[in-house]
Amino acid sequence: MPPFRDDQIFIIAPGSETTLAQLGLPESFTPARFRLRSRMFPGEKSDEYEPVKIRKKEKKSKPEGDAATTNGEASTEEPEWEEDRISEDGAVWPIRKGSIVDWPCFYALMEHVYNTVNPPFHTPILLISEPSWTHKEYEKVAQFFFEKFKVPGLAMMDSALAATYAYGIPTATVVDVGLEKADITCIADFMRQDIGRSLAVPDCGGEAMTRRLEELLKGRKGFTRDVCEQLKKSSICEILPADTEVPESDATEGASNPAAAASTGADGAAPGQRKPSVAGELPRGPGPGTEVGEEKKLEDEEGVLDIASIVTGGNMGEYLAQKDREKQDKATAKQQRKASEAQIQVNKPARLPNAKRSRNTFMYEDFALHDAMKKAGMTTQGMADMQASLDDGTNKEPQSAVSDKPADAGFEKSDGTMDTSPTGGFRREVEVGPERFQAASGGILDRLADAIHRTIWSCGELSKRSDLWDNMIILGNGSKVRGFKEALLATLQAKYIISPSSATIFTSELPSNMSTPMATGANTPQPQLPGQQHHSSGVNPLLHAALTAQNPQLHPSAPGMPQPHQQSMHSSHGQTPTSIKVAKIPEYFPEWKEVGYDEASFLGAQVAGKLLFIVDGGASKGYMTRTDYNEQGPSGIHDVRM
Amino acid sequence: MAATLPPTQPPAAQEYAGDEINALVLDPGSYTTRAGFAGEDTPKAVIPTNYGQLSSGEKLFGENAIHLPRPDMEIKNPFNSDGIVEDWETATKLWEYSVTSRLTGAKQTPPNKNGLNDDKDENGDTNMEEQMEQLEDQEKVLGEYPLLMAEPAWNPQKAREKSIEIAMEQWGVPAFFLAKNGQLAAFSQGKSTALVIDVGHQNTSVTAMWEGMVLRKSVHHTPLAGNWLNNQIRLMLSSQQAPLIPHYMVKSKQPVDAGAPSNATYAKFDKPPTDSFRKLEEERVLTAFKESVVQTWPGPNRLESQSGAGNFTNMDHVKNYPPKPFEMPDGWNQVFGAERFKVAEGLFDHNAAYTDAENPAPAGDQTLTSIARNALQACDVDTRPHLMNNIIITGAGSLIDKLPERLQSDLQTIYPNPKIRVIANQNSVERKFGGWIGGSVLASLGTFHQMWVSRQEYEEFGARIVEKRCK
Repeated sequence: MPPFRDDQIFIIAPGSETTLAQLGLPESFTPARFRLRSRMFPGEKSDEYEPVKIRKKEKKSKPEGDAATTNGEASTEEPEWEEDRISEDGAVWPIRKGSIVDWPCFYALMEHVYNTVNPPFHTPILLISEPSWTHKEYEKVAQFFFEKFKVPGLAMMDSALAATYAYGIPTATVVDVGLEKADITCIADFMRQDIGRSLAVPDCGGEAMTRRLEELLKGRKGFTRDVCEQLKKSSICEILPADTEVPESDATEGASNPAAAASTGADGAAPGQRKPSVAGELPRGPGPGTEVGEEKKLEDEEGVLDIASIVTGGNMGEYLAQKDREKQDKATAKQQRKASEAQIQVNKPARLPNAKRSRNTFMYEDFALHDAMKKAGMTTQGMADMQASLDDGTNKEPQSAVSDKPADAGFEKSDGTMDTSPTGGFRREVEVGPERFQAASGGILDRLADAIHRTIWSCGELSKRSDLWDNMIILGNGSKVRGFKEALLATLQAKYIISPSSATIFTSELPSNMSTPMATGANTPQPQLPGQQHHSSGVNPLLHAALTAQNPQLHPSAPGMPQPHQQSMHSSHGQTPTSIKVAKIPEYFPEWKEVGYDEASFLGAQVAGKLLFIVDGGASKGYMTRTDYNEQGPSGIHDVRM
Repeated sequence: MAATLPPTQPPAAQEYAGDEINALVLDPGSYTTRAGFAGEDTPKAVIPTNYGQLSSGEKLFGENAIHLPRPDMEIKNPFNSDGIVEDWETATKLWEYSVTSRLTGAKQTPPNKNGLNDDKDENGDTNMEEQMEQLEDQEKVLGEYPLLMAEPAWNPQKAREKSIEIAMEQWGVPAFFLAKNGQLAAFSQGKSTALVIDVGHQNTSVTAMWEGMVLRKSVHHTPLAGNWLNNQIRLMLSSQQAPLIPHYMVKSKQPVDAGAPSNATYAKFDKPPTDSFRKLEEERVLTAFKESVVQTWPGPNRLESQSGAGNFTNMDHVKNYPPKPFEMPDGWNQVFGAERFKVAEGLFDHNAAYTDAENPAPAGDQTLTSIARNALQACDVDTRPHLMNNIIITGAGSLIDKLPERLQSDLQTIYPNPKIRVIANQNSVERKFGGWIGGSVLASLGTFHQMWVSRQEYEEFGARIVEKRCK
């Protein structure tokens, strides 16, 4: 009987942005039940951390000059505290670029995770470790878990290896695109290749894309970092394949575009790179993407800037009324616009996909405003009022029903149901032009491609390299941006694929044991019954051999070919890659299939948890028990970690 | 009984793993720096020794940084062409980086003490003394690990003393030892008597070892190694008008016929990266060429010597072998027949080397065979048969196909009588990191404990102790 049961396995996967956790393995594996932001807030004492932001609450009795009294109040009366579950102002993020930068905070975060999940006593923990944790850091983490939580068993597994467990393939290249970095790991026969592994490649994650968007939209007012971040997460942000042109409303530059794209043929971003001016110029004509849209945003932005002073100034009622008026104006304007839009769009397909539209909108949730208001000491009621009046989200419905499918449905959903990331900021609609297709244009794909090439190239297992190229696992929430994986693959293929050499097609591929055909008559075609046995004996064996041996090269992606084996056998190309493919994940788990496999490491962790704690049950030392820890100390974790 | 310890109580430090010391092994080479914990089978940190220097003077270490094309980065190397450290300041930083980046982590302060990130929340009135202490703690990156370092056998006394100085004073190691990498490579094969031929990047060295002691007189080295081979390939390619365009310059490529001009689109740079960067990236292509195409003529005899009757040479023979294709990053491709043998021939036959104004032909006594012979000649005649029977070939440069076979055959020709046995580990990783693995073995041996130069000894005798103790 195994020492643990399914429902006792506790999995934690800390990340730079989000920490995943789950207690118990369900019958069919599901995405992580707990998604916690990887941040803590400094508590009252310097060594303490709180999971939510706590602010001083303002007393109602002093309505005038709230801001001024904030400091004085604390001394006169007992301060009142309030939990703010939305704001992330002043948070400490203990994990940056995959490595733990703030240990006390990391410990506090782990404690928070543990308390949130609240497992019973007999619960072994499987911790998914970030690749950039060092030897010493493993020991520290193990020590913490054993001494703080008194766990009966601890297993630690590298997130890249966990990904291969999810995919169920022994040899793969795992490209984990995270927030600020990407990790690239070669796994050969379930063995991590530590030498040459690319850890925490900087500027290759989601953050780099946000920054790129920020850079592109710099010229336009209102595109703060937060807006760009949410734009990136929205479904309208997309990376287009190399041969699609970035949609423009007019053929301003469109004509020259495809040609240029074809000639470079590199990545979806290439065309955009040559036209950075796009951000400035607005297409003319009615419809989405006109001056009207721009103005609206501009004004909204100013609203943000003023809001705190308005609130503190006490003339909020006025402001709200004004805002309401504006809203009505806007609504009517919108209706008019829509009418004209409808006329124009009659001869167009009603629902253009995002990639074909020059402009599109998404819903932005303004947390900065929320923070500003909280700081100014707004009451809950006041906030609700503001929210109601400022929220564009509510009157979005009719529009989306008329014009097209709500562009940000995906975003809403992903934020609302999958994430525990805070919602409740002020929402407004933001419109973006073709910049939304250029998130990856800052060279991130090239950097990533180079790092992948370098990693596989420095893998010691020479014979595995072509397998590594044929089993690319691209995951991580940074790769969630639509079209990112495809674009990365296209970049790799354009840059690195080795084509079969025309010089060797008939020379090098002849098997050496093939002798010259002799005039024995064996090869002379015999009169045969029609339809009977036509192959091999009838064909010149040399030609046959040449053709079959050449086959895997002529069709590098022919399916169902036992390729890896053949490729390592024939001598023609010592170079790799002759083909680059993305590994297929087995689709056993419907819940995972729904949300996508960007967090496949967690799925792998579930598989591994089942294997290590239950199937194997400690027989081959897949985890460290309390007894082991007492005997070996923290350094014993190196014997069991994977 | 440890098992009965209540779960609330952490095990005492001396209770577990008391006799095990977690030593660090550092094998600094001119191409890669290898570091890891003793007792492991491969070094966990393999860092390129090349580093990038920005125009601002900032130095960048590690693969991620140095392969990024940027206009203001010069690629440099702290070693001179002889494999001896020239730029100690950078070398120290680089070695520190190799140890901290993957092994120990940046911080060594115990978790209860390091509140470094809290500073911003406090009003700046933290105890300065405490901060200084923390700062010191941080500087002593290796405070808790004994360090075993490898060195080339011809390392001058000054450099050796400098090494122990850095380790003791800058890193604060509790114990230190310096071992010759030839010696270590032999240990990795479990031999204490051997002739070690280490084909590295800048140099190939020969070290004879007799029962664990290096025979000083036998130590020879030659520049005919990996880097020299790269230059040979460079010369051969330019004689074929092959374009040597590194990957970073190519945006995408199209397949072309063999020998046809390439059809690729190139990346555009406002200000192109420096020449030294381009050279570094070209080396990547050359290394790929070495890996997939180059082969040594396995012998017997030289490539140019006659085989059989008439004028039929070995060269003519290899011309009949199927040629191997190679594709450049920009798509240009060609098959290489005899050339792929000829580029490596210079390692054994100085007359066969490709030459030009900058790359003169090597002297006759620089070939691998010659230095092996010279090393053997320098040893006592009684030891020779033992050494000849235990010739260990190691180093990443020795991974050229058939190189050990050729060495065996060439040495056999010189010494027909005693048995020549060239031992080459079949595992490429173990051959690449032979020196480091030997260090890992040595440092985890129980009997090695008494060999360490401890802190006290260093404080008592100063840096000179390294000459006395580490022979």
